[in-house]
Parts: sequence; structure tokens; C-alpha cells
Amino acid sequence: MSEAVLKVENLHVRFEVAGYRVHAVNGLSYQLRAGRTLAIVGESGSGKTVSSRALMGLLPPNATVSGSARIGSVELVGLPEEDMRRHRGADLAMVFQDPTRSLNPTMRIGTQITEAIRAHTRVEPAAAKRRALELLSLVRIPDPNRRFHQYPHQLSGGMRQRVMIAIALSSDPKVLIADEATTALDVTTQAQIMELLAELRSRLGTAIILISHDLGLAASYADDVIVMYAGRAVEYAPTRILFAQMRMPYTRALFDAIPRLERESHTLLPVTPGQPPDLTALPAGCPFEPRCPRARPECRDSRPPFVEHEVGHWWACWNPCKDGEQLMTELGV
Amino acid sequence: MSDVATTSPAPRVFSAVLGSPALRLIVKRLLTAIPILLGVSILMFVLLNLIPGSAALQLLGPEATPEQIARLEHDMGLDRPPVERYLEWLWNALQGDLGRSLVSRQPVTDVLPTRLAVTGELVALAFLISLTVAIPLALLAARRPNRFLDRVSMVVSTAGLSVANYVLALLLVLLFAVKLGWFPAIGYTPVSKGLGDNLYSLALPAFAMAFPLLCFYTRFLRGDLVDQMQGEDYVMTARAKGLGPWQVLLRHAFRNSSFGLITIVGLNISGLIGATVIIESIFSLPGIGQYLLQGILTRDYIVVQAIVIIFAIITVLANLMADVLYAVLDPRIRYGTN
Amino acid sequence: MALTEVQVSSSAVVADETAPTRTRAWLRKLHIGVPAGLLLLIFFACFVLPLVAPIPKPTGGDILNSLQPAFTPGHILGTDDNGNDILARILVGGRTSLFVALTVNLLGLVIGGGLGALAAQAGGIVDSIIMRLFDVLIAIPSLALIVAVSLSLGPGVRNTILTLSFFSVPAFARISRAETLRLREQPFMVAARLSGTSTWRIVVRHLAPNIGPQLMTFAMLGLGIVMVIEGALSFLGLGIRPPAPSWGNMIFQGQLSLSGTPMLVVWPSIALFLTVVGFNQLGEAVRLRWSGR
Repeated sequence: MSEAVLKVENLHVRFEVAGYRVHAVNGLSYQLRAGRTLAIVGESGSGKTVSSRALMGLLPPNATVSGSARIGSVELVGLPEEDMRRHRGADLAMVFQDPTRSLNPTMRIGTQITEAIRAHTRVEPAAAKRRALELLSLVRIPDPNRRFHQYPHQLSGGMRQRVMIAIALSSDPKVLIADEATTALDVTTQAQIMELLAELRSRLGTAIILISHDLGLAASYADDVIVMYAGRAVEYAPTRILFAQMRMPYTRALFDAIPRLERESHTLLPVTPGQPPDLTALPAGCPFEPRCPRARPECRDSRPPFVEHEVGHWWACWNPCKDGEQLMTELGV
Repeated sequence: MSDVATTSPAPRVFSAVLGSPALRLIVKRLLTAIPILLGVSILMFVLLNLIPGSAALQLLGPEATPEQIARLEHDMGLDRPPVERYLEWLWNALQGDLGRSLVSRQPVTDVLPTRLAVTGELVALAFLISLTVAIPLALLAARRPNRFLDRVSMVVSTAGLSVANYVLALLLVLLFAVKLGWFPAIGYTPVSKGLGDNLYSLALPAFAMAFPLLCFYTRFLRGDLVDQMQGEDYVMTARAKGLGPWQVLLRHAFRNSSFGLITIVGLNISGLIGATVIIESIFSLPGIGQYLLQGILTRDYIVVQAIVIIFAIITVLANLMADVLYAVLDPRIRYGTN
Repeated sequence: MALTEVQVSSSAVVADETAPTRTRAWLRKLHIGVPAGLLLLIFFACFVLPLVAPIPKPTGGDILNSLQPAFTPGHILGTDDNGNDILARILVGGRTSLFVALTVNLLGLVIGGGLGALAAQAGGIVDSIIMRLFDVLIAIPSLALIVAVSLSLGPGVRNTILTLSFFSVPAFARISRAETLRLREQPFMVAARLSGTSTWRIVVRHLAPNIGPQLMTFAMLGLGIVMVIEGALSFLGLGIRPPAPSWGNMIFQGQLSLSGTPMLVVWPSIALFLTVVGFNQLGEAVRLRWSGR
């Protein structure tokens, strides 16, 4: 078992918005080991993006972060901005969702990469340029010499995302966070980018955090999966184990909602009724209780703790699914 | 080791501009400018021929008899049909002859160069002052939005935009010329008599013209910078690279804002020229604004016609330049999509 | 699985609320309230006060009474160099200037707004012709155009209004045309056209209510601009001529004795400034209200 590169413990993030306090992340804990890919899966508002932005210190000023997040021996929570800047890009790097908007449209690709390089190392412009061209080859962009001088709008979506990855890798980070990095791309390009990330991970040994709402993506590319709901981790296991034995009813529901080829066409997609909870007013009990088909009285009264119930498999539920159980019957036509 | 020899960007820009949408834009705009300028000259000719009292009446005074007026009008060629007069004027104008002032009998084109120089210097100084103050101020304000400097500069700029430039001019004269005696209230000293004195004489008028611009640019730039810093994804990327706040502000946000700013500056030239009509009059500066006003007050329609056309030409060229600059600076337009 | 955004709402369980919400709503009301109040005050002072309060006449003053300082009995702000009461001239001058500004903007709104919308709706030749005409007007810097037109039309209230319309009508036309073009391609507009709705009905029922707010906001900002330009025109002796008062010509008259009696310039300047600030702030606040919705 390799050493943990990133240890997150009891992370809380709170926002002050228009007079209300939004509890976006409520006690998230996980460990990321070198060379492994961790997928953080959840729907919009689950806190997955907020938690990783918190690690990088990229939250707006109305956010309060508490808890612990250690990368190596450095405690990221509460780190002053000037120190945080030294780690951003160098130890922890991020690739964002929309490569079209995430690259400055009026700056050449090459400059945007060399800028990232020179943010952390004092090098001559020529050396930075060499390194940038290396990176462009690393992310498999053809004809890097020509692309170096081009502007983002002259590249396709997939290539732009590769450039974002090149920028992220420019200072050899220990952790790469891919925040919905393939959501804005078409399926083919998505697969290409994911393959690239997998390859880079094995070549460079970077640990990757994959943030996504797509459980299928996690299934294909992640080593471990955390499922988040209402700002908390509700299930955590290595991928194979998770998909073999889903315990938390929410995970089960996410899984059932993935459209599948084997189903009859026009089969209604099993949808969980209701809405995610209001993050300004979280209930005392399990946040999923109002929508959970397995809810019991104790679910409303007290929150189930997030505990390692089986080896390597954690979950937070009073009434977890048993092996082989179908959560919902298919609604056939 | 990869081959680092690549073509440098400079020759690429050149060929890009020449074959590019920018050139087509220039040509198209110049072509549409011609009917517009013709339209301006016709409009002015029509307006000026509706003057209740002709120039002849003005010259002779109210005591003149109708016969005297008619005779002078005949001498001045004012009794010929308007269309004929217009076409003659146009023909001459295209050859560079804008006529002779009805009042001073001096060819307009003789007077133009020196007057244009005065106005040109005034306008240039105004832009210089406004940008030199607005850019740093906006940057500092955008660096810490909603804090003290930002709020104060926004309030002052907003209030400043509500001050009429002639009011400001008079207040400046009152304070700095009359009460403090630091600057001259009126008069112009040409560069030939010493740059220092020249700038001295233009200081108050340039500032009066610069102030509203300054307020406008500060507000615009600060707004644009803050919009970018808070709304654009590439700012997040830049921060994620580990860049410091000033680096992000200058290298990303300001870089993008500057395109918009340059365009606006170009578009402002027209308004500024118009403002010279009143400012040059207050400070007795011998520029084209004052020339126009004098022409109007003395019903010297030759001068008015000529100066308005000049104003229109400057406006068209300035707007064109602004659009072209924008097309050239924005790489999305310059290089098109692949 | 319903993928939804976080909703910030006051739901059943007690919401975690912090203090500033109430102050923020209050502040927004103040944003509109203060300039509106200021303007109401100014309008009242200029239009109503001279009718009800014992304010002396603005013209026909005694030259022997000239240049009295402030707080002289009977003349709160003193008298000008012709012996006229300054306060009276400011109030009556304000009435004139405000009247001109309102009328000019109204003309611009109706004629310019109408023509611009018409041009955009009609498209083709009509659009080209109308916009070319306006392009000619816009090619001349505003003040130069106004000054040249005023030469032709002459001074006086009615002519000043006509002159300033040369400025406001093209400005409104441009905005109106741009807005109409933007709206044209919205689904509801396309639907109306396709279902055969008559042009007139489209303009009245669909177009006007949608570009109306934008034009109104522009009109409010325009009031400040027109007041300043009218002031400039009167300052130059081409707009409202003495003895009829206008803030612009009062400032000009005051200029002649700037060193001796600066207040002759300062009082009308303050009046102009406050009014323009009021219009600008109100316009801004309304614009924010409407676009923030």
C-alpha cells in the first residue's frame, strides 16, 4: 500500500451568501495515495467541486474553510495566501471543466504554458519554451512547434483540454485534480482525454482526483471512489468493491439511473423523486432520508456515521442495501 | 531534444493583417464614409442656407438698406441658386480649396494647420492626462474591490461625470488662475516660445477636458477588470497556476481590458473634438473649435461649412481606427478560426 | 436521478440566516429613493415654488440693486449684475431648462425610438435609408452639430428644443434599433411574425413593452446629458437668451465677473450639478433594478 500523498480530514466549507450560511462541505475525509486515481462522484451541489477548490485555496472571499488537508507535511487549510501560491500549480494542480473559457483567448498557447512554468521556477525564456514544447508532446498534441504560437480558438476542444493538462503538469505536481474535465467534451474526445490521464498517471506517478457526476466514468477510470451527498462522503471503496456491493441507497440510485444499452428501448429511467437538501438548513438526521426508499424512523432522528463497516469499504447508512438487492424495480413499458 | 526553430510571430502578423478581415473592414468603411461625408456637407449647406440673416446682412449691420445688401450678396455670389453654389463648393473642396472666410477673407486652408495643431495638442494632452490617472487608479481599485479606494474612486468618478465641462473649466479658472494664480486663465503660448510655457498655457483647458474622460475610463476599466477577475474562468486557471494577484490582474485581466479601452478612446475622439468648441472659447485658445464658434457667431458660413466637414472627417477616421485596432488586437478576429 | 442546483430558500427547517439581508434590501430602496427624492425637490422648487412662495421676479431688476450679496433682505442668494434676484433666476431658469430637457427627451424617445424600431423591423432599403440619415448626423460631434443647427434655427426655447432634438433623436434611434434587432430573433417574436400578426400589433403588443424599459433608462440618463448640452448652448449665447434665465446663460453671465463675484457662477453650477447627479443616479439605479431582475 503506497504512502498517502494527500490526507483530508473532516473538511468543512461554509459560504455567506445573501444573508444565509450555505454549508457546502460537511465533514469530508479521505486519503489519496501516490499513483492512484480517486473519483469523487456526486450531483451538483454535493460539494465535490467546492472541496477540491478548498484544497487549492481558490474559493471566493465569502468562504470559510475548516478541518485539515495535508499534502506531504504541509497543512493546506488556513495556509496564508502567499504560501498557498507556492503550492498551487507546483504540488497541486487543477484542470477545469470548460477548456474554451479556461484559457485566455488573447494569449498564445505557448505563453500560457511558459507562464505556468515560470511561476514556480526561475528559468530562461528559451528553457521554458523547450519545456513547454516537451509538455505539448507529452499530452500528445501533434505539431507542437506550430501550436505553440497559436491562440486557443485555433484549437479544437479536445486539444484545448490537453493544453490545460499540459499547464497543470508543468511543474510536476504530486496531485492533479480533474474537475469535470471531460464533461464539456464529446464522448470520443472524452475517452481520449481519460486515456491520456491514465497514461500520464502511470508514467509520472501523479495521483489524480477525478471529480464527476458520472458514475460510469468513475467505474472505467478510477481506482477508488467516494460518493458525496449534501457535502458529505456517504460511501467510499475501491472501485471494484463499490460496484460489486453498493451499500448506500444513494449510490445505488445513482447507479440505477445510468442509461444502459441492455434495457429495452423506451424504458423509463428510474428517477429518485425529490430534491437535494437545502444547504442552508440541513436536517439533523440523514440528509438523503426524505428521498430514500429504505428510510427508517431512526434515519430522520440521527445522522449515520461514516464508518469502515467492511474492509476498505466505508459508508454512512442505518439501513444499507444487502448484496444483490435491487433498489427499485425497473419501470417497464 | 525537440527542434526549437519556429517561425517568429512578426512576419505572420503582417501577412495576417494584409490578407485579413481587417483590411476588408478598412476598405468597406472608407467606402461608406464617402456618402456619409457627402451627406454631412449637404446637410450643412442646407442648414446654413436657412439662416434668417445672410452673411451680407451681418457684415453690413442692421442699418444697411436692402439695395446695399442685395449688391453685397451679388458680389459674394450669394444670389445664385443653392445647388449651383453647393456643387461649386464641392468641386473646390475636393481640390483642397475650402473657400475664403467671409469675414476675414483669408483662405480657410491657410489657417487650418496652425489651428489644428493647437487643438491636436490640447486633445492629446487631455487623453494623456486622463489615461495616466485612470489606468493606475482603476487597477488599484480592482485589486481590492469594494474596499476604501475602490469605493471612493467610484463615487468620485460617478459624481465627476455629472459635472459639465464648462462648469469645471470655470471653477478651475476661479481656483487656479484667479485665486491661486498658478496658471494662466486665458491665452495660448505656442511651442516655439518654449515648451514649458506652452504646456503651462494648456494645463487648465487640458485638465478640464481630461476630467470627464478620466472619470469615464476609471469606471469602465475598473468595472471590466472586476468582471473579469470575478467572472472569467481563465482567471481561475491563472490563479491555479500559482500566479500572484497583481500578475493575474495585469497579465490577464488588464490585457483583455486594454482592447476595449483602446476602442473606447478612439470613439471618444469625436466627442472630445466637439468639446473643444466650448473649452477653446473659454480659454481663448486659437484652435479649430474656437474657429468654428467664431464662424457661427459671425455667420461666416464658409468657415462653418469647412470646419464641420473637417470635424466629420476626423470623427469618421477616428471611429475607423478604433474598429481596425480592435480587429487587429483581438486574435480571434485577426486570425479567424482554423 | 434529478440533477439540480443548490437552492437557497427559506425551507421548513430553520434557515441559518445572518443579519445583513434586511439592510441590503433597504439599501436598494435608498438607491432609487435618494435621487428620486432629490429630483422631486428640484422639480417642486422650480415648478411649484415660484407660484406659491413670495419669490421676486427673475427679470426686470433694478440696476441700482445689482450684485447684492447673499442674505440681503428680499434676496436670499443676492442679486446678479443686472439687479435680478438670483434665486428667482435659478428657479425659473431651472423650470426652462428642465422643460427643454424633458421635451427633447420625449421627442427623442417617441420619434427616435419609433424610427429606430421601424428601421429594424422593416429591414432592407427602409433600414438602410433611415440609418444612413442618422449616420450623417452622428458623424458630426454633438456639440458642433448642435451649435451649427442653432445657427440656422436661432435662439429661444422652442428653437432650442428643436435644435437639441437633432442630438437626441439619432441617439434614441440607434438604441431602439439595436434593441429591436436583438429582440427580433427571440422565439416569441419569430412566432408572432410567423403566425401572421400585423406589424402594428407586433410593435405595440410585443416590441414596445420589451424595448420600453431600456429606452426609458436611456431617457433618464439622457436627461442629464441634455441638460448639460442645453446649458452649453445657452452658455454660448445660442440657446436661451437673456433676459430669460437658463442655468447655462447664468453661468456665462457670471463668468464676466468671475473674480469679483464668483457666486454668480457657483449657484447655477450647483443647481445644474445636483440635477444632473439626480438624473444620472436615478437612471443608474433603475437600470440596475431592471437588469438585475
